[in-house]
Amino acid sequence: MKSAIKTIAAVGAIAGSLAFSSVAHAANTVKVGVLHSLSGTMAISETALKDVMLFLIDEQNRKGGLLGKKIEPVVVDPASDWPLFAEKARELIEKKKVDVVFGNWTSVSRKSVLPVFEELNGMLFYPVQYEGEESSRNIFYTGAAPNQQAIPAVEYLMSDEGGSVKRWVLAGTDYVYPRTTNKILESFLKAKGVAAEDIMINYTPFGHSDWQTIVSDIKGFASAGKKTAVVSTVNGDANVPFYKELGNQGIKAEDIPVVAFSVGEEELAGIDTGPLVGHLGAWNYFMSVDSPENAAMIKKWHAFIGDDKRVFNDPMEAHYIGFTMWVQAVKQAGTTDIDAVRQAMYGQTAPNLTGGIAVMNTNHHLSKPVLIGEIQDDGQFATVWETDGVVVGDAWSDFLPESAKLTADWTYPWVCGNCEKPKYLTN
Amino acid sequence: MAVTIFADVQHNRVVLFSILFAMLALLAFSNPVFAQQDDIAVNAALSDLNARSFKGKTAAVEALGLLGDARAVPTLEALSEGRLYVRKTDKSVVIAERAGKAYLLIDPVTGAAMGEATSREIKKIIANNKLRGLIRGVLGQLALSSSDPELRRAAVENVISSPTNGSLALLKTARDREIEDDIRARLETGIATLELGSDDPGLRRAAVDRLADGNDPVIKSLLERRLLKNTDGSFVEPDAGIRAEVQEAVNNVNDRLALFGLAEDLIFGISLGSVLLLAAIGLAVTFGVMGVINMAHGEMIMLGAYTTFFVQEIFRATMPAEAFGFYLLASIPAAFFVAAAFGILIERGCIRFLYGRPLETLLATWGISLILQQMVRSLFGANNREVANPDWISGAISIGGGVSVTVSRVYIVVFCLVVVAALAAFIRYSRFGLQMRAVTQNRGMASAMGIRTGQVDSLTFALGSGIAGVAGVALSQISNVSPNLGQNFIVDSFLVVVFGGVGSLWGTIVGAFGLGIVNKFLEPVAGAILGKVVVLVIIILFIQKRPRGLFALKGRAAEG
Amino acid sequence: MGPISRRLFALESRSGWTAIAILLVTGLFIVPALNLMVPEGSFFHISTFWVATLGKYLCFAILALALDLIWGYAGILSLGHGAFFGLGGYVMGMYMMLQIGDRSVYGNPDLPDFMVFLNWDSLPWYWWGFDQFWFASLMVVVVPGILAFVFGWLAFRSRITGVYFSIISQAMVFAIMLAFFRNETGFGGNNGLTDFKDILGFNLSQGSTKVGLYVVTVIVLLLVYMVCRAVVSSKLGRLLIAVRDAESRVRFLGYSVTNAKLFVFTLSAVLAGIAGALYVPQVGIINPGEFTPAKSIEMAIWVAVGGRGTLFGAIVGAFTVNGARTYLTGVAPEIWLFFLGGLFILVTLVMPQGLVGVYRSIRSGDLKDAIRRRIQRVDV
Repeated sequence: MKSAIKTIAAVGAIAGSLAFSSVAHAANTVKVGVLHSLSGTMAISETALKDVMLFLIDEQNRKGGLLGKKIEPVVVDPASDWPLFAEKARELIEKKKVDVVFGNWTSVSRKSVLPVFEELNGMLFYPVQYEGEESSRNIFYTGAAPNQQAIPAVEYLMSDEGGSVKRWVLAGTDYVYPRTTNKILESFLKAKGVAAEDIMINYTPFGHSDWQTIVSDIKGFASAGKKTAVVSTVNGDANVPFYKELGNQGIKAEDIPVVAFSVGEEELAGIDTGPLVGHLGAWNYFMSVDSPENAAMIKKWHAFIGDDKRVFNDPMEAHYIGFTMWVQAVKQAGTTDIDAVRQAMYGQTAPNLTGGIAVMNTNHHLSKPVLIGEIQDDGQFATVWETDGVVVGDAWSDFLPESAKLTADWTYPWVCGNCEKPKYLTN
Repeated sequence: MAVTIFADVQHNRVVLFSILFAMLALLAFSNPVFAQQDDIAVNAALSDLNARSFKGKTAAVEALGLLGDARAVPTLEALSEGRLYVRKTDKSVVIAERAGKAYLLIDPVTGAAMGEATSREIKKIIANNKLRGLIRGVLGQLALSSSDPELRRAAVENVISSPTNGSLALLKTARDREIEDDIRARLETGIATLELGSDDPGLRRAAVDRLADGNDPVIKSLLERRLLKNTDGSFVEPDAGIRAEVQEAVNNVNDRLALFGLAEDLIFGISLGSVLLLAAIGLAVTFGVMGVINMAHGEMIMLGAYTTFFVQEIFRATMPAEAFGFYLLASIPAAFFVAAAFGILIERGCIRFLYGRPLETLLATWGISLILQQMVRSLFGANNREVANPDWISGAISIGGGVSVTVSRVYIVVFCLVVVAALAAFIRYSRFGLQMRAVTQNRGMASAMGIRTGQVDSLTFALGSGIAGVAGVALSQISNVSPNLGQNFIVDSFLVVVFGGVGSLWGTIVGAFGLGIVNKFLEPVAGAILGKVVVLVIIILFIQKRPRGLFALKGRAAEG
Repeated sequence: MGPISRRLFALESRSGWTAIAILLVTGLFIVPALNLMVPEGSFFHISTFWVATLGKYLCFAILALALDLIWGYAGILSLGHGAFFGLGGYVMGMYMMLQIGDRSVYGNPDLPDFMVFLNWDSLPWYWWGFDQFWFASLMVVVVPGILAFVFGWLAFRSRITGVYFSIISQAMVFAIMLAFFRNETGFGGNNGLTDFKDILGFNLSQGSTKVGLYVVTVIVLLLVYMVCRAVVSSKLGRLLIAVRDAESRVRFLGYSVTNAKLFVFTLSAVLAGIAGALYVPQVGIINPGEFTPAKSIEMAIWVAVGGRGTLFGAIVGAFTVNGARTYLTGVAPEIWLFFLGGLFILVTLVMPQGLVGVYRSIRSGDLKDAIRRRIQRVDV
């Protein structure tokens, strides 16, 4: 067993060299961490966000970088593994010494990294529409909160123009985002006078692939003679078989429209959208919106990625807005110091690609416009309705009793993410 | 005039009704004078279609309808199907057909060609669901008097599902004229649904009688609504006698619907079973016959699905549009050979070194599956790929009682049975099948008889992989085509094979359909997730009773 | 020296003990000292990242030991060990969840946030008692133990072996995963349990707590190693090896194979549960992702890479594979799966005894011969 000692010595030496290899840091670049899954189940959605970050950083470097330095992207792969997300977040902040992180998609991955960002005082930009009910000092939420997506969509469907829907199917994947959204919608619908028997709630597991029974149930529910709509919070992967089943069972958007909050251009690129024309999506951005900023952005994106079929979607726009604001905030603060940049972030503005100006609020959520679009046969959305101006993202929903009393405001006098009264701390 | 059955008569229904009559009148007396109504009004309404708001567009559609000009039909159809555009240069409304990268422009009124345009020179006029519904109503009711019985059949269903003020009169006229028995029967049913709300108790009673032997959930809910109370506490149906009849009719319909419900569960179960069988059948060869635990089996299915995608893209690029629907047939051999080729590669490069060590094969093939996933991700990108359902595989067949079977699922059931039958015949009757069985039963003896066992191993593995690839073609029609495709099927496939009995093709078939049907009968009771959990627990407990599966091999071969 | 301690010392050779001592000193004193006492920026400083990551690896090493005990010695390949690991983790998570009290988001002193969110008004019965550390610690052992006992009893009694056992153990972990994904099951659904604040009053976000947990894990790893060593050196251990190599023969000789297997399987599950309980406070989250079949398969791969049938190999394997993952996902995020997949294939093809086997071959100087022999053998 002498051999064992030598093995240990060798292992120790390797571990040691690994441990110390990261000590020396050259501070001549600004480092931006990119924490998106490139393998595993979430790679489907997140890989495009990694690409868009490389694109944005490349653009900024062409404009001369930041604070006179080049921006260096630090890409890691948390592999759709939630504890690995926490490990990688710690590696980015503590070991790679990044100045900011753009990343995450799922709520559970955000929950996994949140304690790390709070402990190490990092800064995360989270670009995906989510369930709200959170406001961390160390996270900026650039995706939509429920009041920027779900409620306008339902209001639209209730309106004369949207078809005066009277009966509702709330179908979702069984996790926190659909649960919260459906809970908010349920209380919203009831407040609008919809009876309990006119609401059907259904949850399916992740990656649910056999939708025959549920689609048939929806058909049955809709045969009661009142205009029925489906509000879908079905998660990414399960959507393709869901929509295929809808199309195959002959459910047309004129009869039972489906409005989805997790289906964007990227997801539609994997579906034959012919049978889906007229089903709806609610987002803060559509690739099809005809504005000069949008056209220019898409042109540059296609040139960067070298493929003019690649789509641009809402979370990608969220990264664009987040990155633009962060760059401006760093310039104003003159440093990448987290606390200074955070202060500079409040009230920061950036033009939306669809027109209007996005504003970063002190609850770490954006003010953005809400658009509702119908799916077209080319896989794009056609905008059928949009808000007049921007909608302020609400961290704590007013439609849930336990969260209606909470306020998120990270400036004086509140300085708090979930408080009932101000803390009166000077940060 | 007709009695309304809906309290909320909406503005658009009235409009629809008047449009309809105008159009009918037009068709009835169509003569050149009418047809050449002032073009100015038509053109004005056309340009109004390009209104910014949907209110404006709705008004324009209504105006077009009111003009009663048959020339508006292609325009309305184009608008509904998203083919109506505005040419940016002169703001004229055109129908645009895609031709390669450019669009061919057609005058919506005259049908004359107007040259070509690029996608930047024209802008689509967007219709929303409501507008499409309105157009469908106008065009659909018009079709009630069409000479094509198929169009009439569809039109009757449209009228029944969305009746308007004038529907009753229309249906009655149509009934008197109708020559096809089945359409007339549907028209009678439609009339009855409307007469349920008539002021005449006799008519109401007749309507209830007529509807009592239906089995349509829509009609059931119409009947049920007659039993409710109005807000002032009076019954919707004032006559107690008729109420009793309605109640009985509802009960009858419910009984029949319950039967249809069972039939539906059974059909769904068979359909799910066929998917499980397809996913597992390749494994029944590699695992069942050869005893190789191939964790990369799912990736073989994925390769088949990606081959389908690839073949589809080739068809899109090189074949005329009419031939596109056949890409699926062409993909079947392509997917077989691609997956089989990978199978040979894996067997020669890795698995042959590991025979007799099943658990280590498991680990090595797990490594292979990671590599294949990443390879596809690097080559095709991480996101889903679009695989279109050809027309001949789209749609649904209604079998009554609100139950319908989707065509693609019928094809999958048939397809999977054909594949299994072909495989069984191949193993049973072909020379190679004989060698395969010889090698798996007694390798040493087979070798002594002059069979090249190494070659047989490779080809058997290739066969199993190829069949998995073929399964991928079918699964691409109902599932995601993504690098994770295989992972979704791997656990289920192993369970099916083990449950059915390793080495028994028959067991795999029974196992797959059994699990599929049990799952679908549990789902309405326990929900999708718990249903699946219960199935898994059943399998675990079942294996205790029969550790070698439903159809266990007997004799020495079973002592693995 | 008493007889017990004498027996304890007899478990390992002299050099084995030296190796353990060196590892212990490194693990227990040097790493914490370099983290806590050496200032940041110094060449010798070990960052908290490494302490946390090493702590994670140590938990995986315990888990790998547990799996090696049944796979390497008794020939039972469980592809469902993630179930026991995860359950141990959930038990610890439930304890820490109830420690949050009114510091939770919705400020309910009695209910975790996700229960408030589901509109539950009281703790379900199966959460009772988990606010007590002693009770939770007991359950860390009892819950995986009972599950393993019942499952093993059913399986071994019916003589389900080999591949069949692997597949149904996979079905078990899959069923548990689906059940835990359901929000109504009452364990937080997909997000699982998270947002922990402290354990036994120590603040989890403090560096010293992390070092403390790390040190505890080192000690537990040593203890688990000793337990496994004791089992495999005992008469039972020899019986297990006999079962692995010729189960029917052992049965015919009159031994109760079922009982032996059941004992070691349950013990292994308990050890896996302990690993899970140590893992959760260090990573700060437990969710049904731990129950995915892929994770359980990977655990078997750690053991295979290190070398099954050698306890030390299990530890080496867990460190190697997870170290490679940490390293590769950082330096080659786009293509690291090629390396990892390649490693698995390579190990099974040319290193059937794993890294420890290779090391032994190098030591005895017959590596080339071994490889040559191997290739010749398979060519036949």
